[in-house]
Amino acid sequence: MRSQAGAPVSRRRFLALSAAGAAAGAASLGGCALPVSTGVSSSGETVTMMVKAEDLSPDLVKQAKKETGITIRRVDYDITKLIAMLTSGNPPDLVRAVGATDAAYFAARDVMEELDPYFAKSSVLKLDDLDPVNDLWRYDGRTQGKGPRYGMAKDFSQDSMYWYNTAALDKKGIDYPSETEPVTFEEWLENAQHLVQRSKGQTTVSGGSYNGLTKLTLMATMTASAGGSLFSDDFSRVDFTAPEARKALAWYIEYCKLKVGPSPLQPDPNGWDGPTYQAGRLAMSNTGYWMGGMIGADKKLAQVSRLAPAPVFAGGPRISACQGGTGMWMPRKAKNKDAAWRIFEWFFGEAPAKARASSGWGIPTLKSLRPLMPAQEDYQKRTLKAQQNELEHFSVVSLTPYITGDAFESLYNQVTPAAMTGGISVDTLAGRLNSIINEQLGRGKEQVG
Amino acid sequence: MTVNQMSSVADRRPGSTANAGRAGSADRTEPSMTTRRHRAFYMFTAPWIIGFALLTIAPMAYALWLSFTTYDGISPNWHYVGLGNYRELLNDSQTWDSLGRAGLFAVISVPLSIIAGLGLAVLINRPVKARGLFRTLLYLPAVVPPVGAGIAFKNLFDQNAGAANGVLTFFGFDAIGWLADPYARYVLIMTVLWAAGNVMIISLAGLQDVPRELHEAARIDGASAWRSFRSITVPLLSPVLLFQTVTGVIASVQTIMPMLLAPLATTGGLTTIPQSNYTYMIHVFSEYFALGRYGYASALLWVLFVLILIATGLIFKFTSGVVFYNVDPEAKK
Repeated sequence: MRSQAGAPVSRRRFLALSAAGAAAGAASLGGCALPVSTGVSSSGETVTMMVKAEDLSPDLVKQAKKETGITIRRVDYDITKLIAMLTSGNPPDLVRAVGATDAAYFAARDVMEELDPYFAKSSVLKLDDLDPVNDLWRYDGRTQGKGPRYGMAKDFSQDSMYWYNTAALDKKGIDYPSETEPVTFEEWLENAQHLVQRSKGQTTVSGGSYNGLTKLTLMATMTASAGGSLFSDDFSRVDFTAPEARKALAWYIEYCKLKVGPSPLQPDPNGWDGPTYQAGRLAMSNTGYWMGGMIGADKKLAQVSRLAPAPVFAGGPRISACQGGTGMWMPRKAKNKDAAWRIFEWFFGEAPAKARASSGWGIPTLKSLRPLMPAQEDYQKRTLKAQQNELEHFSVVSLTPYITGDAFESLYNQVTPAAMTGGISVDTLAGRLNSIINEQLGRGKEQVG
Repeated sequence: MTVNQMSSVADRRPGSTANAGRAGSADRTEPSMTTRRHRAFYMFTAPWIIGFALLTIAPMAYALWLSFTTYDGISPNWHYVGLGNYRELLNDSQTWDSLGRAGLFAVISVPLSIIAGLGLAVLINRPVKARGLFRTLLYLPAVVPPVGAGIAFKNLFDQNAGAANGVLTFFGFDAIGWLADPYARYVLIMTVLWAAGNVMIISLAGLQDVPRELHEAARIDGASAWRSFRSITVPLLSPVLLFQTVTGVIASVQTIMPMLLAPLATTGGLTTIPQSNYTYMIHVFSEYFALGRYGYASALLWVLFVLILIATGLIFKFTSGVVFYNVDPEAKK
């Protein structure tokens, strides 16, 4: 009999050992993939926040430690990583999300913590101080905007509004749109056509951009502006053939056909309007109040920029919704909820919230912080006046929990280019959109149960 | 060295009388040379095999399991659907269209990049001045990260501010929407040709392996440069060309360059990829991360894996008669 030390490693034994090693490795990799500590550290509690770098600077992390005694560990926002963390039962304590498109989606999948008990006890975030935009983070199991609160917006804008450059309008002899009374979508498009400047096949100045924050929010809010709803009562279907939705769709296809601004046919290489508008190559930009942060930093640009109300459809209601409402939520399985709530209060109601309110990069989501909005310079006063007037027309446009903004956008942009190039009619497009989007909605509904 | 130390060294020598006295016990406790070789082999290969099992076999098996479900990563009510996802993809026109585009891209880009790479290799294999500099410059694009290349090409071919249209308009032509249909596919092919330095380096290594005396003999026999290239260089390079064809086809059907050419290289950016560049991997990415259909996307990947295996097998089968392996006959003995 051979001793153990002298035994050759047979292939079978080797493979068995390898498999055992692989299994052990897999188990340890599971831990490595999610290196999130939500426990209590020796110097105080630690809260893990999954946010983007611009949401939470290293200085803010230090400030949080100083003011709350809690250590923040930042994890870069990544939806795939988030899903892996949620699935493994080891989620971050606070997660960034877009209220308009994400809140109902995650709430319906039962991964969000209801925050009503926390709000009820809070002396920082009082319910009567919350701006109505925070209703985007409510969901009652059927409708967004009602029911328990699952998160809060850090700031917001009414994203159907638009900025215009007075120098570009002066050059073409176009009257400035009113800062309090809306133009119609048709008038907006007509102005954009007059403002666009082309030379040898190149667009030197785009007349205007009108793409919404996402195609889902754009179509839903425009349909609401036409007096209808993009979704059925139970949010399980869309109907682009309904007159109001068709009207919204037809307008957007016409906008793309005319090539007056960025669209899926000719996307802005910068990815958003800011740099193009700042360079004087975009006369009108469908971006809300929040772009005022960028505009205010460029005095020359600020002098020629005006914020105008959200356009309306002739005869339709005046609706000016928030298409974003980016903020944070707390996963139901977060390990450190009390500390997370303390950071939540600090981030949304204390020093960081005050700094955001005075920066001009969005409207504060606590009514009590509104006096901090920038209003020292003339252009700031003018912008603020236009914005305050528009707030009277704010409303929450409910979206479906059965599809993500990315999914809607992906499907929408798969079929719309054919209509934008004149290959198919708007009616044919409406039918195709109904078909592919309802299929995805059906899958979503089945999975939510 | 002391006498005791010398004695100790002698004891360890194979066949020494001191060693022979304890031979029986050594046989029982020390492994034989063959065993040690086996053990060394398995120990050296174990990290790779464990890595392969963990990072390739396990994910593939997991993806295979997912492909039989409706899992979306987060929803509570996913379920087993058997071959449902595979049946669905058979009827999904977007799948076949995107596969067709990926195939077309491979058919065009692989031969072009091999020809370009070989051409460049032949050029810089000649005794020209600053040959090293040319080799470096031509290889340089291949070491640029794809993300950087994507940004460079986006800026270069931007309709309104790109250098390509700057040249066109300077000469009185109208600008072209390079990054939109139908031109976007040409830009995609250009990104492949731009990085032909990779192919060039491999071809250059192959060229330097071609015996010079064969070319000299051919020249003495009166063969032209082209004839010499066609009848000596190409046959001797054929294993290298086969390697480049196989790896080129695999890489081209899996390319995600269209995404990097989109204005936003993110999940949202998928939606701005022109239809002509909407290739199979973009479709897979879209199904995974935009639509959250992990099950269906996993089925798509498994189908691609099988198709690549078939394509590789076919390439080997159809090239077996034209690939010349320069094997030393003595080595077979």
